[in-house]
Amino acid sequence: MMTKTIKAKVFRYNPDLDNEPYFQDFDIEYESGMTVLDALLQIQDKYDSSLAFRWECRGGQCGSCAVKVNTIARIACRTKVDPNENLILEPLEKMPVIKDLVVDMAQTTFRLRRIRPYVARDKKPERPEIIYAEEIEKVREIRKCIECSACLSNCPIVHETWDYPGPMIIRQIARLELDPRDVEDRVALAMNESVYSCTTCKMCEDICPKKIKIPSLAVELLRAKAVEAGYPLAEGQQGFLDSINKTGRAVPEKDAPLLKDIETAEFLVDNPRGRVAFFTGCLIDYRMQNTGKALIEVLNRNGIDVIVPKEQWCCASPAFRTGDLHTAHAAAKRVTEIFEEAADKYNLDTVVVACAGCGKTLREDHRPFIEEGRGEPLKYEVYDLAEYMIQVIGKENIVPPKGEIKLKITYHEPCHLGRGQHVYDEPVELLKMIPGVKYIEDPYRNRCCGAGGGVRAGQRELSQKIANTKKEYIEATGAEMITTECPFCTIQITDILQETDIQTRYIPDLLAESYRKGDAK
Amino acid sequence: MNYKTILCDVLVVGAGGAGCRAAIEASRHNLDVIMLSKELLGKAHTAMAEGGYNVSLGNVDPDDNPETHFKDTITGGNFLNNQKLAEILVRDASERVFDLEEFGAVFDRTPEGKIAQRPFGKQSWRRTAYASDRTGSEIMVTLTEAIRKTSVRVFDEVFATKILLEGDRVAGVTAIDLKYGDYLVFRAKAVVMATGGAGRVYKVTSNAQLDVGDGYGMAFTAGCELVDMEMVQFHPTGMVKPESAKGRLVTEAVRGEGGILLNSEGERFMHRYYPEVMELAGRDQVSRSIMTEVLEGRGSPDDGVYLSISHLPRSIIEFRLESMIEQFEDAGVDIRDQPMQVSPTCHHFMGGIRINEESGTNIIGLYAAGECTGGVHGGNRLGGNALADTQVFGALAGENAAKFAKGHSHTGFDRDTVVREFEKLESMLERKEGISPADARAELTELMWEKVQIFRREEDIEYAVKELRRIEKEVVPNIKVDVQVKRFNPGWHQAIEFEHMVTTARMVAEAALMRKGSRGAHYRVDGDPNDKGYYNIVIRKGKDGEMELRKEDLVITSITPL
Repeated sequence: MMTKTIKAKVFRYNPDLDNEPYFQDFDIEYESGMTVLDALLQIQDKYDSSLAFRWECRGGQCGSCAVKVNTIARIACRTKVDPNENLILEPLEKMPVIKDLVVDMAQTTFRLRRIRPYVARDKKPERPEIIYAEEIEKVREIRKCIECSACLSNCPIVHETWDYPGPMIIRQIARLELDPRDVEDRVALAMNESVYSCTTCKMCEDICPKKIKIPSLAVELLRAKAVEAGYPLAEGQQGFLDSINKTGRAVPEKDAPLLKDIETAEFLVDNPRGRVAFFTGCLIDYRMQNTGKALIEVLNRNGIDVIVPKEQWCCASPAFRTGDLHTAHAAAKRVTEIFEEAADKYNLDTVVVACAGCGKTLREDHRPFIEEGRGEPLKYEVYDLAEYMIQVIGKENIVPPKGEIKLKITYHEPCHLGRGQHVYDEPVELLKMIPGVKYIEDPYRNRCCGAGGGVRAGQRELSQKIANTKKEYIEATGAEMITTECPFCTIQITDILQETDIQTRYIPDLLAESYRKGDAK
Repeated sequence: MNYKTILCDVLVVGAGGAGCRAAIEASRHNLDVIMLSKELLGKAHTAMAEGGYNVSLGNVDPDDNPETHFKDTITGGNFLNNQKLAEILVRDASERVFDLEEFGAVFDRTPEGKIAQRPFGKQSWRRTAYASDRTGSEIMVTLTEAIRKTSVRVFDEVFATKILLEGDRVAGVTAIDLKYGDYLVFRAKAVVMATGGAGRVYKVTSNAQLDVGDGYGMAFTAGCELVDMEMVQFHPTGMVKPESAKGRLVTEAVRGEGGILLNSEGERFMHRYYPEVMELAGRDQVSRSIMTEVLEGRGSPDDGVYLSISHLPRSIIEFRLESMIEQFEDAGVDIRDQPMQVSPTCHHFMGGIRINEESGTNIIGLYAAGECTGGVHGGNRLGGNALADTQVFGALAGENAAKFAKGHSHTGFDRDTVVREFEKLESMLERKEGISPADARAELTELMWEKVQIFRREEDIEYAVKELRRIEKEVVPNIKVDVQVKRFNPGWHQAIEFEHMVTTARMVAEAALMRKGSRGAHYRVDGDPNDKGYYNIVIRKGKDGEMELRKEDLVITSITPL
């Protein structure tokens, strides 16, 4: 059998000798099942025994070997080498390099010690101490952390500021808050450690070798406890929530809302191949009416009946994200009611969403809340538009858009679409169907734009910093247009790209434009 | 030769379960305690222990008690254990597990809210406390949290190379800072060795990369007595595939929870070897059974056997064996449906530095705890007794080291020895011609795996001894590092470790050669039936610097071998 060789570009730096870091290329003999750690050990054995990286257990249990693998930090021993892709290996971010891939962890240790990271007690426990399994069920979930620090390196907030201690450390605060034995006020501590700085982008959860759901089990949990304890939300965040409770919309009305503007709830086609209900979300209804119309048009053109219930309610994503569970749960019930009614009335079982934030909230927050509450499954499945088109209609059945759009286009993957709903490549596949589009892959396409988690509403300055980093990534692609699939991201990215020539577009809009252009020919 | 000297009252060398526990205990005595960690804090091999911690709480089986735990430990150890030490183990295991809970450990519970306990090999009752199958990780995380509460000064990525003596008392250690390559001397009134094991002297091992036997090597050189070095535990179930994961531990909890071993013919072969206890026979026994199946042609295609749990309820597997699911997922096997391929892997050194009931060694002021010590486990360690060992003897060593430090001032130290040690380390970098540490290590680990393994025979061990003596004379002094850089240079670290590895391997082989009969983990294919093996082999450095071995009577308190 021919051995396959891949290239590894490895970050090298010895500050004693080198003026600056450089990359060194190595040929790796690929073996099936090879991990990044295997590749590093091969380099050390074959080419350079002084190549510095950390490792101990080779089995995902010690958390020593986190490095950046093709821009994202992961533990090397559990990251498989892709034989079809070259490797780029770099040290973790935010931590000063000692040599090559070995970084100084002092800052992390310091930040950890600062939160008094141990169970604090005000008296000696009884021996034996009685603790029931239910009391520690949640602790057990988030306790699996092996402190590999990969999540710190990937965190868009930590990237901008050490004011936020990062996912791993926020998780430790939640672990202690959940521990019935700990007597300290961990909620106050979490407030002091900027728990409201997290955009809930889920990068930490995605790369966590122990799959710990840090945003929901730590960040949102601590926020809910903070709200419960009476800590006020930021003015911008509270404004959203008040508005939701009053009007069912997170933002005030400006131009005629989509739901009022459209004359009917029923957009039916001849010989439909399917039927869906359209959950508009606040921003498409109140701010991006054309996007809503575009979505209906695109689906109709593909033979799908679209039902748009005229009475809709906010998914309350801002409430789930910021910890106002009262508002959140009330909305979840109301939304479920509205759409189950529509499902019954129109005999459908599919709800399509074009807002990443709404889709994530319906799927990850509403569904478990409702299903656990009543012990019965929801009557409908939620799909993102792109996902619905590619997965349900099927790529081969999609009516090809014919109008040419001659542009270099890149894609921003909304956090709550990719990591939130596991919709990764479908939007790109749609883009590539448009004639004339030259798709440019952005290696940083899945990095947070800084808008989510209540951060744009609550901490505009921090949100801006994250957005500016995103802007650098976007500009580096050389694209003329960036597309995305979330109104929140669209607003944020449009803002930061104001001074540039790069346009920002919502994918349904672009698709509809291509269809219409095609008609005109 | 430039070096920096750092003073403390109690120095703990090693930061795994035993080291952390010793440091925590010592710090309770208003002393300045330094803990040297060869890795980052929390990354020690203890974190890789999976199954559990033996303690006769009787939470599940109320008839259990320390006496039964003692009996099981001695029988399991083939009567070679130092019974005074085993008594301490079973006596203190419960207080130490409660300590862990007080520090914040989260063990799985019984319906009554007590610590749950699972069955493990060769134990009369369900005795093994656990946190899913990541018990070691739970304990390591807990100790890390506890250390962060204390005043212990943690020097991580500092590698101790030599124990310093002043007369017959310990004076401290020499060390290098792995990060920057600086030479360091740590002077202390008392020193605790907690350096772990040496699985890495074997080619196939479950051990972390740092487990190369530094403690055994340093202790021997310093004149410590070591005991039972021939007793190396091969865990019956290590991973077989993929190649890079070979030897990784498949926890005994898999069998504890009901997993069965099958050969290539689908036969549950353990009934032919140990029908009463089947898969939960002693680790030495199960390992030999598996190897016999393989050698007689009933192994899997990759020379292992099958371990199956597909008959167990999914909920049990997912709740109690979560790491195993993850570990085999990486290898493309879903253990809920598919059998695991397993074969023995070098797992634990029962032997090590000889300690007394105070965890003290024969060198004044020098204490030791955990896997680097010998005597507690005899000829075979029960699964679950190692984690208990780290906590019981870690605390004991920490306490006694602290008491000693309270009553003594610092000794002087011999600067010439220090300079010579650092010159030796430096020479590895300066050497123009020589042998690379990677090649040297490959030769050593292959030799041990081939010749001093589960089934041992005279001619193999003789060959290994001869080779190891040669390696010690010819290779060790000629180790050459490729790149002459002191800042975080793994090549250099390996070069320094190599001498410790060779000394450790030699002790194993020399003791194995001396023991002519089979006993515990030491199984002689050509065993002398007249050698019942009821003695311990003690090793120390003789006047001429040569390895001296002698047989000693067993330390018996209540159970006399049959």
